[in-house]
Amino acid sequence: MIYVIKEIVRDHIQNKAQIIRLAKADLFKTYRGAALGWAWAVIKPCVTIAAYWFAFSVGLRKGSEVAGYPFILWLIAGIIPWFYMSEMLTQGTDSLRRYSYLVTKMKFPISTIPTFVSLSKMFINSIMILIVIIIFWISGFPPTIYYLQIPFYLLLDLIFFTLWAQFSSLLAAVSKDFANLVKSFVTAIFWFSGVLWDAKSIKISWLKKLLYLNPITFLINGFRDSFINKVWFFDQLNLLKYFSIITLFMFVLVIVSYKKLRRDIPDVL
Amino acid sequence: MSKKVIIFDHVTKTYNLYKNSKQHLLSIFYKKVKCKKKKALDDVSFEIGQGESVALLGRNGAGKSTILKIITEVCFPTSGTVLVDGVVGALLELNSGFDPEFTGRENIYLKGNILGIPKQTIDSLLDDIIDFADIDEYIDQPVRTYSSGMKARLGFSINVNIKPDILIVDEALSVGDADFRKKCNKKVDQILSDKKTTLLFVTHSTAIAKSFCKRGIVLKKGSIVFDGSIDDAISSYEQLKP
Repeated sequence: MIYVIKEIVRDHIQNKAQIIRLAKADLFKTYRGAALGWAWAVIKPCVTIAAYWFAFSVGLRKGSEVAGYPFILWLIAGIIPWFYMSEMLTQGTDSLRRYSYLVTKMKFPISTIPTFVSLSKMFINSIMILIVIIIFWISGFPPTIYYLQIPFYLLLDLIFFTLWAQFSSLLAAVSKDFANLVKSFVTAIFWFSGVLWDAKSIKISWLKKLLYLNPITFLINGFRDSFINKVWFFDQLNLLKYFSIITLFMFVLVIVSYKKLRRDIPDVL
Repeated sequence: MSKKVIIFDHVTKTYNLYKNSKQHLLSIFYKKVKCKKKKALDDVSFEIGQGESVALLGRNGAGKSTILKIITEVCFPTSGTVLVDGVVGALLELNSGFDPEFTGRENIYLKGNILGIPKQTIDSLLDDIIDFADIDEYIDQPVRTYSSGMKARLGFSINVNIKPDILIVDEALSVGDADFRKKCNKKVDQILSDKKTTLLFVTHSTAIAKSFCKRGIVLKKGSIVFDGSIDDAISSYEQLKP
C-alpha cells in the first residue's frame, strides 16, 4: 500500500510542470478548431441554464424565490458546480482511454493523466464560478463575506473528483462495461443529488442522512451556502466530516485499484 | 567490452487473457476468476552494450514488440529483471504517441516535454526535425490529417534528432519511400558513428536489418533461438519454420 502511495505522489511531484502543460493542452484541445473557440465553454452551460429556467420558471411555474433570491440564481449557484462534476463523471472516467497513446506508446506516469484532465476541467469551472459571481452582482446581489469559502469548496470539489477520476479511469480502461455503467448513471445522479431541488428541504430524516453522505449533495449545498444561504462550513462540521470519510474511502479505492491494475493497463488499452 | 545499456535477465511476460472485459473487471475484486495465460516472452536473457546495433528478427507473435515495450517501460515484465540505462528514443508503431488533434509542431513539443527535454533544446532542434521529416507546410496541420508516411517520417525525425542514448525503431521505416529510407540510413549511420548510441531495430526485412545492424537476435514464440552476427542471424531467421 505505502509504496503505491509513494509512487503516485512521486509521479505527481516529479512531473508537476508537465501536468500543468498537459492540462493546458487538454483545455486548448477541447475548444480549438471551432470558429467560436473559447466561447463554447460558456455557451454550452448558458443554453442548459436557459432551458432549465424556461422549464421551471415559465413552464412549471415553480419560479418562486428561495431565501430572497430568484429561482434562476438559486439554480445556477448549484448547477454550475455540477457541470464540472458531470464532466468528471464522464470524461474523467474516460481519461485513460482518451489518452491511451500516452500509456501504450511511451513511458508515462499514468496516474497524472486523470489529474491533468481534472485540472483542465476545474479551470473552466472556476471561470464559470466567476461568471456566476458577476451574474449575482448584476442582479443586485453583491459579493458577501461568505464568498470567501468558495475557493475552499472548489478545492474539495477538485480533490474528490480527481480521486474519483483516478479510480474510475483505471476501471474503465480495463472494462468498457464500467465506463458505460457510469455514463448511464450520470442523469440519475443529477436528479438524486439535489442539484435542481433543495436537499435541505427533505422531510424524511433517514433519507436526509443518506443524502448527507452523498459528496455531490455536500458540494452543491456548499456552493449554495456560500452564494445564497449564508452559512459557514465550520457551522456544520459534521457534514464536512461525512464528506471527509467518503473522500478517504475514495482514496483507498484509488490505491487498491492502482496497485492491482497499474501493470495491466498498458496491456489492455 | 563496453558498458551494458540494456540487460534482460530471465524475463518472462505473461498476458492474462480473460474471456471478456467483464471477467477482467471481476478479477480485480475476486481472485478466483479464470483466465488463459499466454506467454509472450519465456525466460529471455540478453545484454546489449553501448554503441551496438542489434536487429530483432522473428515472425509475427515472436515477442519482438513485447521486448521493445518492456525496454521503453511501456509495459512491465511478469518476472525477471530488466535494466535500461539512458534516454530511450522509441518509435513504436506508426502513430507513436502523437496526439491526433495537435499539429505536427505542437506534437514535437509535447513529445519533447514527455521525454524531459527542455523547451530551449527543442526550439533549437525544431528546424532540424521539420527539415528532416520533409513535411513542409503540413507541420502546422493536425496530425490526424497526415498520411501514414508523414507520421512515420515525423516520428522518426523527432526520435533521431533528440539524440537518444538508445534508439528503437519498430517497423516504422518500412512505409517510407526509397529516398527517405536512404536519408534515414545516413542519419542512423551518423548517429551510430559516435559509438555512444545504441540501436535496436525490429523488422521483417532482412535487407534493411543487414544495412543497419551488426548483431542479430532471432526470436521464436517468445524465446531466443539465435544471438550472434547479423549474417548468421538472418540465415537462422530464414530457416525458421512457420
